[in-house]
Amino acid sequence: MKPFRRRGEELVARLEPAEARIVALLLDQLEQLLTAEADDVAGDPVVTRLLPSGHRSDPELAADYRGMTESALRSGKADDLATVRASLPPDGGPLRLDPDQAVAWLRTSNDLRLALGTRLDIQEDTEPPEDLSTEEGQQLAVYYWLTGLQGSLVDALAAGRADRR
Amino acid sequence: MVGSVAGPLAPTRTPEETVEERGDLDRPWVTIVWNDPVNLMTYVTYVLQELFGYDEPTATTLMLQVHQEGRAIVSSGPRERMEHDTSRLHAYGLWASFQRDS
Repeated sequence: MKPFRRRGEELVARLEPAEARIVALLLDQLEQLLTAEADDVAGDPVVTRLLPSGHRSDPELAADYRGMTESALRSGKADDLATVRASLPPDGGPLRLDPDQAVAWLRTSNDLRLALGTRLDIQEDTEPPEDLSTEEGQQLAVYYWLTGLQGSLVDALAAGRADRR
Repeated sequence: MVGSVAGPLAPTRTPEETVEERGDLDRPWVTIVWNDPVNLMTYVTYVLQELFGYDEPTATTLMLQVHQEGRAIVSSGPRERMEHDTSRLHAYGLWASFQRDS
């Protein structure tokens, strides 16, 4: 991977073929979770984290909030996911994003990290894996790879905003 | 702790309709961002600037408060607006909720 950097209005990175395939796979998994029947994913901590409660102690306020906001939250995520999928080079290579696509990548890569981080029970002191031969080690490596990708996108977007001011 | 630090930083929005002195009805509502182990510090700072128009030092101070104290009030005002702010933060994956100011 070549991390994101700003080139004019565009955000540009480069993905290895294997990296692009992993992103495509993760997008499919995220989509499955977000489009699953409510009963099938009830209590799933990843879904709870992606569609969180709006109020922590009042179930009635929380239900009101969910009723008002959840469908827009879901459709926003679906739109972002479609944008990311359409801009992803399937066999790797250059990734060039206009500002709208960049924000979709920003939010979706964050959702992928939230999903993986919740599944892997990431804590603030979790270290990158040393042993890549285990399933968990490989998933942790993907999580840290996504962290690097998203971190470079945040930095490039923040630098662009600082330049405009 | 939260109030003493966030008070001056959080935008004090005046409710559109003044509520008469009726106990806690005139206490404003607040939007809170909670610490979580996944969201990058740079990302939280970026999102707070993007959504609330905070300058970078203000957004950084709020982000550090979330990180170090576990939570920070990022906006205050009428309930409907806090619900809206919470939903905008949820769209970016921040761990947020609204409640009556305590």
